[in-house]
Amino acid sequence: MSAVVFYIATIVNYFFIYNILAWGLNIQFGYAGILDFTYITFMATGAYIAGVTSLGRQQPGTGVVYILGWHLPFPIPILLGGLAAAALGLVIGLVAINRLRSDYLAIVTLSVGIILYSLVGNFTNLFDGFNGLVGVPEPLNGQVHLGVNTYTVFYIAVAGFFMAILWVVAHRLLRSPLGRTMRAIREDVDVAEAFGKNTFRIRLWAMVIGSFFAGIGGALLIGFIGAFSPDGWSTQETFIIWAILLIGGRGNLWGSVLGSFLVIALLSEATRYLPSIPNNAFLEPALRNIVIGAGLIVVLRFRPRGILPERKATFAEVRAPAPPRESARLEPGHAD
Amino acid sequence: MPTDAPILEIDNLSRRFGGLQAVDDCSFSIQEGMLAALIGPNGAGKTTLVNLVAGALSPNSGHVRFGGLDITGWSPHRIAARGLVRTFQISREWAQLTVLENLLVAAPDQRGEGIWNAIVRPSVGRAQDRELVAQALDSLDAFGLYAMRNEYAATLSGGQKRLLELARAVMARPRLLLLDEPMAGVNPALTDQLAGHIEQLRRGGITFLLVEHNLEFVEKSCDHVVVMALGRTLATGVMGDLRRNPEVIGAYLGGESVASAAG
Ligand SMILES: Nc1ncnc2c1ncn2[C@@H]1O[C@H](COP(=O)(O)OP(=O)(O)O)[C@@H](O)[C@H]1O
Ligand SMILES: [Mg+2]
Repeated sequence: MSAVVFYIATIVNYFFIYNILAWGLNIQFGYAGILDFTYITFMATGAYIAGVTSLGRQQPGTGVVYILGWHLPFPIPILLGGLAAAALGLVIGLVAINRLRSDYLAIVTLSVGIILYSLVGNFTNLFDGFNGLVGVPEPLNGQVHLGVNTYTVFYIAVAGFFMAILWVVAHRLLRSPLGRTMRAIREDVDVAEAFGKNTFRIRLWAMVIGSFFAGIGGALLIGFIGAFSPDGWSTQETFIIWAILLIGGRGNLWGSVLGSFLVIALLSEATRYLPSIPNNAFLEPALRNIVIGAGLIVVLRFRPRGILPERKATFAEVRAPAPPRESARLEPGHAD
Repeated sequence: MPTDAPILEIDNLSRRFGGLQAVDDCSFSIQEGMLAALIGPNGAGKTTLVNLVAGALSPNSGHVRFGGLDITGWSPHRIAARGLVRTFQISREWAQLTVLENLLVAAPDQRGEGIWNAIVRPSVGRAQDRELVAQALDSLDAFGLYAMRNEYAATLSGGQKRLLELARAVMARPRLLLLDEPMAGVNPALTDQLAGHIEQLRRGGITFLLVEHNLEFVEKSCDHVVVMALGRTLATGVMGDLRRNPEVIGAYLGGESVASAAG
């Protein structure tokens, strides 16, 4: 298998995984208007839990320390990763989703994310601290026994399988009365509440479902890379997914696909080919963020609602035969 | 027609904002079937009272009963689900939803709002939507908004937004509609149109309590008026009598406006 195929397959895998991540944030923010500034924490939760439930018991002497070590077969670790992230989303949502204040939510999520980050980094017994997990088994490779290059191509099917299912979930949710009410909550939570909507519960659902998406994305990521450490989920990684969502267009699932293609496959990849500057290891990630940030500013300047804005919902009009009564409706009945 | 049991009872309701007593030991009741008005000068506490009744604010003391049920301290969505629906003094449409969607969201008891039906059984929501769409289109037709049905609500004119507020509130199938200045800032033709809709809906069985400054409309159409001033209930009755009430004249109406509005 040629290096080019391997290279393209790698990008496709990232592209698929970031589609899932962007859809999850789209559900939280694009549908329900939840300012989740620690989205990446849910991705990390999925990655860690999938990691420690697919790894076997820790080996003494390797120096890698972690909890669980259940050595569960595919697809259980990935699902557990999603569920663990959803559970964390539920807990954070219960604390932070106050029906009156959305800026409050932003601050709480940001703080909780930073606290969890240093917790995971410093409590080395959980997920081996800042060193992170390594040697995570490749999903299904115990069965298919593929070499590195072929497995990378094979993994497109694994990631694509989850992507297809989650697409259906996100799409149905968006088109459902529940998704419509989520969007109304996004537009004006007080009015939605005044119309009998339990806005707290509905936003909690958006939080939990979005976190589940993040967890599945994280689980697929650790299965693909085989390793995961706090470097992979610093606060700036949350910004990348926000950039994907806003560039693509919130409330539009194809927008998220376009956004992750542009950000992951183009902008982010392109910075790899810039001439490297010796003795400056931080420059490449910094350049990546600058390029993505610039792209975001350009898009928001010319298309404030994203390249593919939310689509207008239309409905089949099955009505009683009478056409609109232009004259009658200007003169409603008056009291005699 | 009014029956004996009041649909809404306000009992010694009070609400403070810091040092300001916005609603001060206020009591009155509204009978089922009434078209009632709540009037009073700016700052009298009318909007605060609406917020207290609808659950958007909780009172410092006192009680609110709706249909015989003590709803004091309930969350707004629980109160609304019981059939007490309110509108806002400033139009608050869901801007990036279409006009039709604004009505659809307002409908109560939507089975497609359940998470299971939304994701696993989308046909349930679609089936109910077909009925709701038909109902909403008829309503938009009656309110003169049919042509705008697929436009974002944000694009409506100020007057159209007022109509949308009312159409949307009706979609919620309320028992009691609490309207906070439904005619504020609209032209006379639209005022008449809104008045016609309100009277028609009242004949259809909805009880109204509306905050209104248009005394001509209040006099002509409302069969019960509550006057508030400085957070208190100053007087209740019909507009014709209230005009001759010296307390009401002193606190609110003023000689000139009584004369002009009565003429
Ligand atoms: N959220 C609030 N915080 C502080 N003061 C308020 C608040 N809402 C209303 N007020 C004050 O309470 C009084 C009554 O206001 P309001 O109920 O809006 O009167 P009205 O609707 O009759 O004009 C006013 O003095 C107003 O400034
Ligand atoms: Mg007011």
